[in-house]
Amino acid sequence: MLNLREISKTYTGTRSLTDVSFAVPENSITGIIGPNGAGKSTLLKIIAGFEHPDSGEMLFRGTPLSAFDDIKRLVSYMPEQLEIYPDYRVSEFLGFLHGTVGRADVGLLELLNLMSVRNKKIGHLSKGYRQRLKLYFSLCNDKRIVILDEPFDGFDPIQLQDILDMIRAENRKERTFIISIHQLHDAEKICTRYVLLKEGSLVAEGDMASLAERFGLEEPSLEQVFMEALL
Amino acid sequence: MRRRYLLLTKEIRDLFLSRAALVLVLILSGVIGYSFYSAVALYGNASVAALDNPLYAAGFEPVPGVFAPTFGGLFIVFSLFLPFLLIPQITQERRNNTLAVLLQIPFSWLEIVTAKFCAALLFVMFALALTLPAVALWSAWGGHVPYGELALLAAGYFLYGLFIASVSLFAASLFDDTARASIVAVIVIMASWFIDFGRDMNISPLVTAVSDWTVTRMAKLFENGILSARASAYFLLLSLGFAACGYWLLRFDIRRKWRRLAATALIILTALYFSSHLHLNADLSESGRNSFPPSIAEALKKAPAPAIDVYLEKTDSRFRDYQKSFLEKLLLVKPDAKVTMIGGAALKENYGRFVYRVKGREDATFSTGDEEIFTIIFRLAGVEPARGGELPSYPGYPLVTTSRSQSVVIWLYLAVIPALALPGFTAMHFRSRKKERST
Repeated sequence: MLNLREISKTYTGTRSLTDVSFAVPENSITGIIGPNGAGKSTLLKIIAGFEHPDSGEMLFRGTPLSAFDDIKRLVSYMPEQLEIYPDYRVSEFLGFLHGTVGRADVGLLELLNLMSVRNKKIGHLSKGYRQRLKLYFSLCNDKRIVILDEPFDGFDPIQLQDILDMIRAENRKERTFIISIHQLHDAEKICTRYVLLKEGSLVAEGDMASLAERFGLEEPSLEQVFMEALL
Repeated sequence: MRRRYLLLTKEIRDLFLSRAALVLVLILSGVIGYSFYSAVALYGNASVAALDNPLYAAGFEPVPGVFAPTFGGLFIVFSLFLPFLLIPQITQERRNNTLAVLLQIPFSWLEIVTAKFCAALLFVMFALALTLPAVALWSAWGGHVPYGELALLAAGYFLYGLFIASVSLFAASLFDDTARASIVAVIVIMASWFIDFGRDMNISPLVTAVSDWTVTRMAKLFENGILSARASAYFLLLSLGFAACGYWLLRFDIRRKWRRLAATALIILTALYFSSHLHLNADLSESGRNSFPPSIAEALKKAPAPAIDVYLEKTDSRFRDYQKSFLEKLLLVKPDAKVTMIGGAALKENYGRFVYRVKGREDATFSTGDEEIFTIIFRLAGVEPARGGELPSYPGYPLVTTSRSQSVVIWLYLAVIPALALPGFTAMHFRSRKKERST
């Protein structure tokens, strides 16, 4: 569905990504895995059109995808450092969002339990609820590809289970997810494929079975793959 | 359409309900109130002697006497404080990544920037509206309100506010740090002041030449009651230039921004050059203080445009007097008159001379008096000098106000308006906190 070919990016002399190429199959949940500074967020920004690669190209079903307006129509992106209007009440933001998008996803709102905090200021919400609001913003649309940068921060294990179920449910609606995750056990619970980055370079990609085979692991686990591939 | 309305509403809310807006309204109220109070007191004191002297009374004009100083407070507040209100509206969106939210909704860059710009202009209009109680008080005291001239004054300040909003947008697109962006904006705005200062200090001929193009000098025309196409075009083009550059800089989705910035700068500079040749001016002052007496003006219209060589430094006080009392008035009637400032050795040898050329004939004088100049011009042009040209009978409007009346200004601007603004603002915040607690 989405093909990245030899994507490179340099920030003021520092190489952030070097010739990264991989494919994202339709309806997959692809986890971008790597240590801090591996270039995960940069890669997601490039896919979302919020950064230009210095070289390389991105193809959607074989057609080059570079114009921001084209990417915007396809991709929903939740940046890691997103602080949704802290002075707004949740209901005010939702009113604005629903009014401008022209739709509200009541089921998603209930699933994320956002109505219970509708009169609270966003800046006064717990981190978990702020993450829920960010997730709601990213999912309250009909875009085919959803990019989430570290979406599981701030959730307790029970909340996390709800969120993972919700992503699976959205994935069943033929939405493709690309998620940057630094907690390996969370990634293992949700992802169907993995892209492993180290210092801006692609180290390995594929599903768990192919990764285990590549690294000769008897008991396939992401932690083992991570240790073998990245350390 | 509804989407755009919601975006504009959001921007207006963000701007008007910010704490910075409240502080700015309090500052505006204080500054306008104090300026109006001082102007009314001075005008009133001077008016005492004019009540029984019609000739003296003719010099009392409400706009230069009262309203221009009142609006003058806005000039300081717009220049030094408005950027600190407008810039965070963009830098915060950049820092919090909420631009990503707006872009994905999806709004276009143009819609986002336009909505922010419209909200900023609404605030400028709101600031201008804070002068309305002063106008109402003046009228209630029996003072004369020259509405046309007052509207021109307000239009001038609106254009200045437009310029400040554009510079703020430009600065906010350079940095996502509010402090740095605000400093850049204030430096750009104050550059005009420094150039004017440089001109007064006669630093260099270049500074003197550039000083004809400063924002402050252009704004002064509106204050003087002159509706100038050149000054209007100057403000509109400069604002468009800064706003367009800010727009290009803000957009992270385009490559080779510098090409677009250079093209924008080139287009704006070219347009500014052509606009500098616009000589469509109208004297909207009620007294006609910027114009020659009608009979003189009529005679000048019949004569060919004179060419004038001026052997004076631009910074010479004689030149300034000459410019104000003659040259500016002449250019209103004969916009095609050619004025040349002579420099170099010729300037030193003939310092203080004015050479007038009409129909290939010339004459020179050291005088800056109207009578001498008109005699020369009309003689050279072969036009019968107009006789008995009097200024239109402007009665003047002196107004003596009591200290009790003046104290109303203080109460209104330092107590009533802040008292209305503060509870309005806090009510909005308390209401939301109350709702939060009830959750």
